[in-house]
Amino acid sequence: MSEARPIQKLLVANRGEIAVRILRTAKEMGLRTVAVYSDADRGALHVRLAHEAVNIGPPPSRESYLVGEKIVEAARLTGADAIHPGYGFLSERGEFNRLCWKNGIAFVGPPADAQDAMGVKTSARARMKAAGVPVVPGSEGPIADEREAKAFADGIGYPVMIKAAAGGGGKGMKKVEKAEAFLPLWQGAKRESASAFGDDRLYVEKFLERPRHVEIQVFADRAGNTVWLGERECSVQRRQQKVVEESPSCILDDGMRRAMGEVAVRAARAVGYVGAGTVEFLVDASRTFYFLEMNTRLQVEHPVTEMVTGLDLVRMQIEVAQGLPILRQEEVVRRGHAIEARVYAEDPAKGFMPSPGRISYLRVPGGPGIRDDSGVYTGWVVPQYYDPMISKLLAWAPTREQAIAKLIRGLGDYHVHGITTNVPYLRAVLRHPAFGSGVYDTGFCQAHQKELLVQPDAQYAEVALIAAAVAAFKRDHDDAEAFAARAGAQAGRSSWLRIGRARALRGGVR
Amino acid sequence: VTTYVALLDGGRREESIEVRMLGPGVYEVRIGDTVRRVDAFRHDSGTVSLIVDTESYSVQLDQRVNDVRVHIRDSVFPVEILDEKRLRMRRAAGKFTVEGRQTLLSPMPGKVVRVLKRPGEAVGEGEGVVVIEAMKMENEIKSPKDGTVVEVLVREGQAVEGNARLAAVE
Repeated sequence: MSEARPIQKLLVANRGEIAVRILRTAKEMGLRTVAVYSDADRGALHVRLAHEAVNIGPPPSRESYLVGEKIVEAARLTGADAIHPGYGFLSERGEFNRLCWKNGIAFVGPPADAQDAMGVKTSARARMKAAGVPVVPGSEGPIADEREAKAFADGIGYPVMIKAAAGGGGKGMKKVEKAEAFLPLWQGAKRESASAFGDDRLYVEKFLERPRHVEIQVFADRAGNTVWLGERECSVQRRQQKVVEESPSCILDDGMRRAMGEVAVRAARAVGYVGAGTVEFLVDASRTFYFLEMNTRLQVEHPVTEMVTGLDLVRMQIEVAQGLPILRQEEVVRRGHAIEARVYAEDPAKGFMPSPGRISYLRVPGGPGIRDDSGVYTGWVVPQYYDPMISKLLAWAPTREQAIAKLIRGLGDYHVHGITTNVPYLRAVLRHPAFGSGVYDTGFCQAHQKELLVQPDAQYAEVALIAAAVAAFKRDHDDAEAFAARAGAQAGRSSWLRIGRARALRGGVR
Repeated sequence: VTTYVALLDGGRREESIEVRMLGPGVYEVRIGDTVRRVDAFRHDSGTVSLIVDTESYSVQLDQRVNDVRVHIRDSVFPVEILDEKRLRMRRAAGKFTVEGRQTLLSPMPGKVVRVLKRPGEAVGEGEGVVVIEAMKMENEIKSPKDGTVVEVLVREGQAVEGNARLAAVE
């Protein structure tokens, strides 16, 4: 990281909702903006919202969004002086970070060395252990050989977690229940990890029974002021993928919150952190917390913290990149309760199979306390190449009960046609008594799998039939009328005129 | 009066519906013995406001290739609406069955990452035959029946379109 200076033009090296999110703040700050897009994303919303846009190649992210040289070239071409990486893709790659700075372009994020230290999850664990932060038992480093990995797993006992050393966002992460299942899952994780991060190194960790996933948002400026902005409870997960996030967490009291916040700040300071970061913890049944990993980027669920603190984390990131100071710890105020639900293009009834395709209709909720961070529009074809998340819907209210009710209401007004989404599933999660009570853990989705699959309510079947039949009737009726109108117009023309024309064409006697 | 037949539960259930127009946007709908007065107002391509007797519903109609997904409150009903002519055509085409040769189709565009079964191998109902990767997730395409894989039409690494033929089970 070299010296800070004002930013005039910001390139957003991402796509989808997060690219849109960053572009919105950049525009509010009066910056010129540049989008990059793959061939599959020519029509994407972020391309339309930026001042300039540069094509960076074929649809697979390995050939476009993951190619650092192409991104830097796009920045040079447009004269962008800063790059915001968003989340995923290149956001946590130290080498990309360095490549930006080497080309005189500011990387909006932490120093490359801090990313390296936290990026390889195994070395991060070792560092945190040295700094006195409790970590989950697991392998010291990545394991290359699958037999050796299995032997290690056999040693610590099942269940275990296989994790990608370069990982994040649940990609390349597998829970192994028993020894026989180890090798196929290891191979699957290797492929997923290679395709998502371009790095297939894996490690093994002991799986904690029924833990909660609680993370702390931290922020640091270049002057060394490091603050924590509160927690996000992310225990509602399906296949290691977060589904619903909220703040505050029901299991934290002020003392524990402060303790975790201070540990998170210590973790950030230990690697010389600057900018927005998230320290993830697992909390077990006895409310002991363990360091899981640090995400050295903006997080998908960052709006939860924004709604509770009233801060704009993207604006803060850009300001820190320009050398400006952030607020002091005692200035951080948290009020009320915020919840986020991730809207995915997937079909819960078919094992959550992705549902890419054309969005034929989109109507999103509004009203007080609702925020929709979306990356799509009516007519957009959701491509098969990328993450199936199309939007994040958030609700803020003074209390948790009200926030839940508000988000349920908002999701009820969320209409996406043409593709199948998990919206009814999200409503079922929010309505579930275990979620309502606040006593839930990362096993929630699995434990309540059946109850969360929404079956159609028989009392509305009659209305559904009426609606479908009336719509069919109207369509047939309109078609018949239109046909009759055209046929009628034809018949109404003068026959003399027709005969005259026919004669003229034949060239007969006039 | 126009009579429609609605197919529900993937064609396992049929319901006959009579629609008569009383005036602009006002209909009388008969299902079995029940007759309802319905005021329908089409807001836009996807939303219809229905007032059934006095109860008000905002109904979403998501028109797909083969059916319409009717969304009411938290419920989604996939309905196929046929008039008499379409119903006769459907009946002639035969019923749903897993008997005989079944072709496995790709439910979405993606990439074949693994082929789990070779031609001639036995397969159980619900057992995976091909693994397709789409949107960074792996999805197993499963056999709908107990039987034998008679044909595999894709290779590992191959890109496939939605509805592409993957394999056949008999």
